[in-house]
Amino acid sequence: MNSSKRNLFKFALICLGALAFNAQASVDDALSFAHEAAHPYVKQGYVVREDAWGGDLGVKDQQAVSVQLFKGNEYWFWGASDTKAAVLSVRIYDSTGKMVDADSWQKGRFAATRVVPKHSGNYFAIVTIVKSPVERTHWALVYGYR
Amino acid sequence: MEKIKIIGALLGLIFVTPLCAEESPQQIDLSKFPAASVDNVVVPVPGEIFVVLDKLGAPKWRDEMRTEEIKPVSDRAQIALLLGTVIADGFVAVEAEDKEAVKNIGKEVLRLAEAINVRKSVITRCKSITDQADARKWSAVRQEFDGALHDVRAAMQELNDDDLAQLVSLGGWVRGTEVLTSVVQKNYSVDGADLLHQPGLINYFDKRIDTMNQRLRKNSLVERIQRMLGKIRPLIGDRDGATISQESVKRIHRMSAEMVNAIKEGN
Repeated sequence: MNSSKRNLFKFALICLGALAFNAQASVDDALSFAHEAAHPYVKQGYVVREDAWGGDLGVKDQQAVSVQLFKGNEYWFWGASDTKAAVLSVRIYDSTGKMVDADSWQKGRFAATRVVPKHSGNYFAIVTIVKSPVERTHWALVYGYR
Repeated sequence: MEKIKIIGALLGLIFVTPLCAEESPQQIDLSKFPAASVDNVVVPVPGEIFVVLDKLGAPKWRDEMRTEEIKPVSDRAQIALLLGTVIADGFVAVEAEDKEAVKNIGKEVLRLAEAINVRKSVITRCKSITDQADARKWSAVRQEFDGALHDVRAAMQELNDDDLAQLVSLGGWVRGTEVLTSVVQKNYSVDGADLLHQPGLINYFDKRIDTMNQRLRKNSLVERIQRMLGKIRPLIGDRDGATISQESVKRIHRMSAEMVNAIKEGN
């Protein structure tokens, strides 16, 4: 490999590294915002799970997160994006695909939904990027129970 | 002043908007989502179930605590499973509000984590478990046990030991199921038994074992857990809301208790 090719290769590696770091940092930022949305609910007795989910989606794209919920608990799911002008939604469906939200709100880059399961079983949190000024929008989702 | 209130109310409408029904359909076709995301179920922590049991009655949590000592073991799969059961014990001790037991379990978590090279990941958590238990901040202790489970799994995944991380979750689930069924069979109710309806989770664990490396898949404890999952599946019903009988609860308890013992003894 000659010197110019070697430099080009190094440059490409640096760019790739920077991209990977940026993607991770953005999901981490989205996660911080999701925790920010959850924070006020801790005072209401909700225990926020340590496990979290995130990634990036295009506008109108959706991601399903499968969760086991228990009748007798109340749950809140909090979603957020690192992109200020993005709008995302979080909705919960049961194993037959029926929406089961008891309550929900959307505020800027944040969205949240409350569920009071009628039965224990498998449920699906569906995250949708409703609007965004960027091609790929980073998102994160956390949930809490009480 | 009135104008400001009206503007404020309008801004409120703009910035805090309940989602419109037309934005999200009332019914969706789950088969249109990639199987990987639909099948990969988030594993609940035992605390999520125990909180419901508390609401259903007043379980005698001290009766559910394990008193026998855990012997040192060398098989990594067994250690990972044991670690999961011990963290689940932590949630039981929190429900029992037993400060000394919580602190001892914190030490046990640290010892087992050391045996599989992930001690560093839980040192801070374990210290916090002790501190919060001393302060009797049970909700915070519950959060720390969840955190310990999460951190141990994350550390294992960083070491490319994702399969072992799954065994920690499995161990926690088996011990959680033993405790759940023990409480429910002592005071049976349909709502209590409904907590066992976890078909997605059972399928997830089953498939996850199938994709483990052969050495782990052929581990006698892992094989036994997979057989147990197959036996539990028909007892919990496919349909949401189906009644799980007292007899089914008893059978699941027997299987999970034997499994927890096998994990401890390594046979």
